[in-house]
Amino acid sequence: MDKKDSSQYWLWVVGTTVPALLFLTIVAYLPILYAVGISFYKKTAFSPTMTWAGLKNYSFILGEADFWAALVRSVVFTVGSVLVQLIWGVGVALLLNRTFRMMTAIRSLFILPYLLPTIVVALVFQWLLNQEYGVINQLLLQAGMVKTPINFIGGLDTAMYSVIGTASWQYGSFVALMVLARLQAIPQRLYEAAQVCGAGTLRCFWDVTLPNLKTTIVLLALLRGIWMFNKFDIIWLITRGGPLKATETLPLYAYRLAFEEFDFGIAAGACTVMFLVLVVGSIVYFKLFDPTKEVEVGR
Amino acid sequence: MKKAGVQHRILMIILMIVLAAVAFPFYWMLLSSFTPRTVLFQPPYKFFRLDLSVENYRDLFFATEFLTYMKNSVIAAIGAILLNVFAATLAGYGLTRFTFWGKKQFAQGTLFSYMFPAMLMAIPLYIILSALQMRNTYTGLILAHMAISLPLNIWIMWQYFQIVPMSLEEAAWVCGAGRLRALREVCLPSAKPGILSVAIFSFALSWNDFTFAFILQTDKNMFTLPIGLATFVEQTAIHWGMVMSSAVLVSLPTFALVFFLQRYLLSGLRVGGS
Repeated sequence: MDKKDSSQYWLWVVGTTVPALLFLTIVAYLPILYAVGISFYKKTAFSPTMTWAGLKNYSFILGEADFWAALVRSVVFTVGSVLVQLIWGVGVALLLNRTFRMMTAIRSLFILPYLLPTIVVALVFQWLLNQEYGVINQLLLQAGMVKTPINFIGGLDTAMYSVIGTASWQYGSFVALMVLARLQAIPQRLYEAAQVCGAGTLRCFWDVTLPNLKTTIVLLALLRGIWMFNKFDIIWLITRGGPLKATETLPLYAYRLAFEEFDFGIAAGACTVMFLVLVVGSIVYFKLFDPTKEVEVGR
Repeated sequence: MKKAGVQHRILMIILMIVLAAVAFPFYWMLLSSFTPRTVLFQPPYKFFRLDLSVENYRDLFFATEFLTYMKNSVIAAIGAILLNVFAATLAGYGLTRFTFWGKKQFAQGTLFSYMFPAMLMAIPLYIILSALQMRNTYTGLILAHMAISLPLNIWIMWQYFQIVPMSLEEAAWVCGAGRLRALREVCLPSAKPGILSVAIFSFALSWNDFTFAFILQTDKNMFTLPIGLATFVEQTAIHWGMVMSSAVLVSLPTFALVFFLQRYLLSGLRVGGS
């Protein structure tokens, strides 16, 4: 009943794949294409018409100091938070790899921050880091490490650290879980062989553990980097981009252009720049890891 | 031997510090939510307290629009679950059972769109949905939430249907069942864990979403929980106890998922997570 060329076969193919394809097109592909499209037009929130602007929006963005500052902040936030997540994640995973008691409970604890709604993470850390009533300031004062409470979120030079720290708390535990899964897949015989050859703990780590983790770490750095670069919610919720734009990364810059300065054309231009960064990151990801292997596309 | 003992003890202490760093924010959120207002604004705080009260929760329910926000969040999540399960299950079945051109492109396109950042889609969606007068509606929000979850869900079902053996369906065909009946009565029941994963991720991603709802829902009556909660800290005198009680309630579903349905989460986490 299942000839490849029968009309019923093709009805099934179309019927099963088209709903997903249609939804993806409407909610993901079309909006992105639309954004790229209007980035070449003058379009504001106040007028229904749009006029061709060529590359004017781009020359405006590239000539604006705010854009370059936002780009630099995006890079600082991305590199900073990915580094902290990786160091924390790999360190914690190595630590947990030794203790197997209570493993399920510990694993649950580490999944929690990652799955928690961002608003919850933001609110809790705003409370923990609060200048007047925050418990972290209280601990620092009691330990005598500071004389006056630190304005973590509102301070010009501390705001970025606060945002990086909060984001790393949420996503670092996820890195730890992924690395831990990889660590437990390293065959024990590799360690035994190394020990037979006279390798100590450090040598074992350097020659057995690290080479086995390399691919996982590169993959996590790449994916987390792509995601952190375009992160809007956690930064916005904690600082609103402030103080004085000290934490305004590219997504917040695009948001400000669209919804505070009401210039959709220029905002779409900023989005397109972000999209190009994503495309470059994705090409590296697909070339290095070919994730489509996981599904048998050939069938 | 003695050296190993000292080393072990040091490791245990480091482990305790790490666990405390992960667990303390949860503890502090919970404790603050049950602390009466008069105590909460008088540091220094005690780390263990028994003078708890439900005053903050009472304020949350009776002095804010919390229940309206919750209703909106629940409706959006249910819509997202239904549409995701429908589209992702069909796609997973089609992509594993039939051969046709463009599968590799479909796989790449799905993974690529999974990396699209919310802001990139939210600005154009705002313009498009405004033009269609679909902002501040459930339909618009549900569609937007599909943009976050559908790529992941297609991926999960694609992988899941690969391990549902063809032989089961073939046996049903031999017994005279048509393709539709074999799908409904043989294939779908064996794919149930995958479908449950899809439902869980659709729920979690919709429930957690801030960016889309923040940009699309500007009418206070259509706010979801994350947007509503964000307005609590925009006032001049922030009622932190109440804010923490709202945070506790909003994270309850997450706790439930992690502690009761963890095995369904692990399949989706492998893909990478945003």
